[in-house]
Amino acid sequence: MDGNNKTTTSLDLTEEQVLAMAPDESSRKAGKELAKPAKWVSTGFSEAALWGECQGSGSKPYQTQVDTGAMAFRCSCPSRKFPCKHGVGLLLYYAREKASFIQQEQPAWVTDWISKRTEKAEKKAQQATDAKPVDEAAQNKRQEARHRKVSDGLDELLRWIKDLVRNGLIGVPDKGADMCENMARRMVDAQASGLAAILREMAEISYYSDGWQTIFMDQLLRLYLAAKAYLHQDRLEPALQQDIRTLIGYSQSQEELKTQNGITDTWLVLGKQSTEDDRLITERYWLYGLTTRRPALVLQFTIRHQPQVQLMPAPGSCIRAELVYYPSAAPMRALIKTQQAAPADHQFHGYDGWAGVLTAQTQVSSQLPLYNDQVYTIAALTPVQRDGQWWLRDEQQQEMQLRPDFRGLWKLLALSGGEPLPMAVIGRETHYEPIGVWYQQAYKVL
Amino acid sequence: MQSWNDIINIALLGTAKKQPDTGSLPGPLQAAAGTVLAAPETDREEQFLQLAALVFNYRQSGAMATAGGPSTMTVCPPETKTYCSATAIQALHHTLDSENIPLLTLWMELCTRHQQILPPEYLPRILENASRHKSLRNLAAACCGKRGEWLAQFNREWNFSVVADTTEEMWENGTTAQRLDALTRIRREQPADARALLQATWPQESAAVKAELLGALSTGIGMEDAPWLEALLNEKSKQVKEVALTLLKKIPGSSLHEQYRLILENSIRTDHKGKVTVTAAIPPDTEIFKTGIDKLSNNARVSDDEYILSQLVALVHPRMWEEHFSASFEEVADLFHQQKTLKPFVPSLVQAISWFADEKRALSLVQHSDTFHMTLLPLLPADQQDTYILQHFDAHSSLVMNYVGQLQQVWSEELAMKILRFCAKNPYTYSQRTMGDFITLIPASVKSALDEISAENENYQTYWKSISMHLVGLLQIKTFIQQSFTKNS
Repeated sequence: MDGNNKTTTSLDLTEEQVLAMAPDESSRKAGKELAKPAKWVSTGFSEAALWGECQGSGSKPYQTQVDTGAMAFRCSCPSRKFPCKHGVGLLLYYAREKASFIQQEQPAWVTDWISKRTEKAEKKAQQATDAKPVDEAAQNKRQEARHRKVSDGLDELLRWIKDLVRNGLIGVPDKGADMCENMARRMVDAQASGLAAILREMAEISYYSDGWQTIFMDQLLRLYLAAKAYLHQDRLEPALQQDIRTLIGYSQSQEELKTQNGITDTWLVLGKQSTEDDRLITERYWLYGLTTRRPALVLQFTIRHQPQVQLMPAPGSCIRAELVYYPSAAPMRALIKTQQAAPADHQFHGYDGWAGVLTAQTQVSSQLPLYNDQVYTIAALTPVQRDGQWWLRDEQQQEMQLRPDFRGLWKLLALSGGEPLPMAVIGRETHYEPIGVWYQQAYKVL
Repeated sequence: MQSWNDIINIALLGTAKKQPDTGSLPGPLQAAAGTVLAAPETDREEQFLQLAALVFNYRQSGAMATAGGPSTMTVCPPETKTYCSATAIQALHHTLDSENIPLLTLWMELCTRHQQILPPEYLPRILENASRHKSLRNLAAACCGKRGEWLAQFNREWNFSVVADTTEEMWENGTTAQRLDALTRIRREQPADARALLQATWPQESAAVKAELLGALSTGIGMEDAPWLEALLNEKSKQVKEVALTLLKKIPGSSLHEQYRLILENSIRTDHKGKVTVTAAIPPDTEIFKTGIDKLSNNARVSDDEYILSQLVALVHPRMWEEHFSASFEEVADLFHQQKTLKPFVPSLVQAISWFADEKRALSLVQHSDTFHMTLLPLLPADQQDTYILQHFDAHSSLVMNYVGQLQQVWSEELAMKILRFCAKNPYTYSQRTMGDFITLIPASVKSALDEISAENENYQTYWKSISMHLVGLLQIKTFIQQSFTKNS
């Protein structure tokens, strides 16, 4: 745990941030085991990369490397997890004991990989320029066929919704899960995977908890509004049309988006949320532009046991990145066009209290009635307990309820000690979930 | 919001039973709702869904915060101690990752000893660990500071976290575990004061707490405690009576002890030729059988009388025999070992030495006997314990292995190597978990010598190698913990 001190890479990750990058609990645990000097045959870093050779059970050590500029990662182990336990271990070891890593010339296996990456990027850029002209007729035909399929599916969905409200929701708790799952399958057949996802969420509702009626009704109305809006999309603004198409399940070409100019800023990664549904892992990264003061949501989808394509920034870290927002009436979702690690900058910018948040939310709602969770940074919120419920109270004594399934309550309380803290929260309407706080000038992920 | 509640009610009943109307809709929605209901070609379900969508959008566009009502939340008082260093926190990370409770105990002991506390963000994890491991609770309360105590008021599982800076505070305001700790500390210095403290609060304590706190009197117990303990034999609680009885048995000179002694003096005698005779002289009306002495032997080779006497020998202070035989203890020990009639009582004599924690006679006995008496080990001076174990390790390895983890001081390097060599022979019995349990006792200096140890059995070599590597990791953490507090103290 000692070592010769040299300079360090631009990678500025804390242990917590590295652990937040791990794909699951077992990788976190295995990574911690590997974050010890005894496990590494060699380690080092250069301006472009961080690397290490980890002695596994085989005769040859695994070669683990990180492109510190673009935050890309590779390991010679057979694991399909991303990053694998060796990657987590290497980054954790580096986060803990930077002094043990010495700046040196890259070994050949690192240089090869970095060069290949550069070549590949150049080739891709070239391909984009040399792209074949699109066969518009065929494309239109395909789009028309899908539109018909989706429209037919939506007609059926609307009939289903009407049947439900005609007969009443009182019997839903007994048959809700199967009923929604069956309709979700129908929506998959109709190529409306976005609506299928909403239906699957409805199947997961806890029908024996208080308040299921509102949760169910909200989702039912979202389906209704999305279906109606799609069937009358010619009457909508182009940006809103795009939102509706996304909600239905039309995807947007990321390659096409990447050709557009984005917004370059230093982005603080406020937090990450992960959900898994039938092997599909959805990671939601909430970002905040320190200069532009804009929030952004970057989604990453991966299939369990399939390698990821991009190493995402660690929650609590900063990246210098160009983000391209997806077209929307109230843009929030974005993709990272280019990124590089940036020094930590934890200055706070945000709303004074709930009044500002609600004004902003009303604005979003007026442009995009079917809006999802938003992220807000608020200057001073205090967690308070009243009547057995937890609330977030602002300086004007206005309160919003903490989501009942919020897992970081104890850490939040420990940091607060009953005092107000600047906070980043996710939510909408009257329920919110903190994802991080500014504590003694540093941003702490919850 | 009434209009939304009405929407939900209609949805639950169904539009076949209840028609949508504009009755409870807020003013700004009335006109739009009127248009929806007046549309000629829309059916009732369509009208309802449109109205519901209208209210849904109205609701989510105009959400309002709730005006804060009264809350009992208080602000946490400022800390009086300093936070531990960044290096100590780094050591804590390694410790928590290892999931090793002895190392976590070591970390918390050092933190407490240096009068330091943990930064707030680590409190939930430490308190959670302490709620699962009772042995960590008092240390956790000390390391978590005022913030820990403040936090614990919201979580019933953490209610052990009461900050008490002085022994008096611990006794007055602490949890039962903290009060027991305080009472034991006071008892060590001023036994009478500790007894008086307990007597003062006795009527207010519950039976379970009484039984737990009374246990503190076993530290420094003496004749001065006997009258009160004898009075406690009339307590209502069976639990309390049992503790009082056990404590009375530890007081040489108490009436109970004297009853036992008298029976033994009358039963075991020396004749004019110096030969010891044993004739059970147990009065028929004796009350000893109400004090936990069994009447019947469960071993066919041991008579009931011999069984009763052996129980009494184990509960009478060994110095009684010196007075009884007018001999030194070494001579008494020789008598027990050499006289045929006394030999069956040797194990009871050893038990008596252990029961009364008689260190002097324990040392004397082990020095004058070739037999290995494991129960006497804790009574030997620290340096003698290592020597005694080393002397008997090969013959009693498995037995000794049960005890070595309870030693109070770090093993000598010689002992550590002997134990680890034994573990290498039996890696499936003494695994990584054993290393984890022993870690605070294993000297860091063995790390460099671990390569010398390998499993003799070829099939065990790989497994032992992984255990050995695990041990190296734990030793590194242990050293790091110690250094992290030394460097910053």
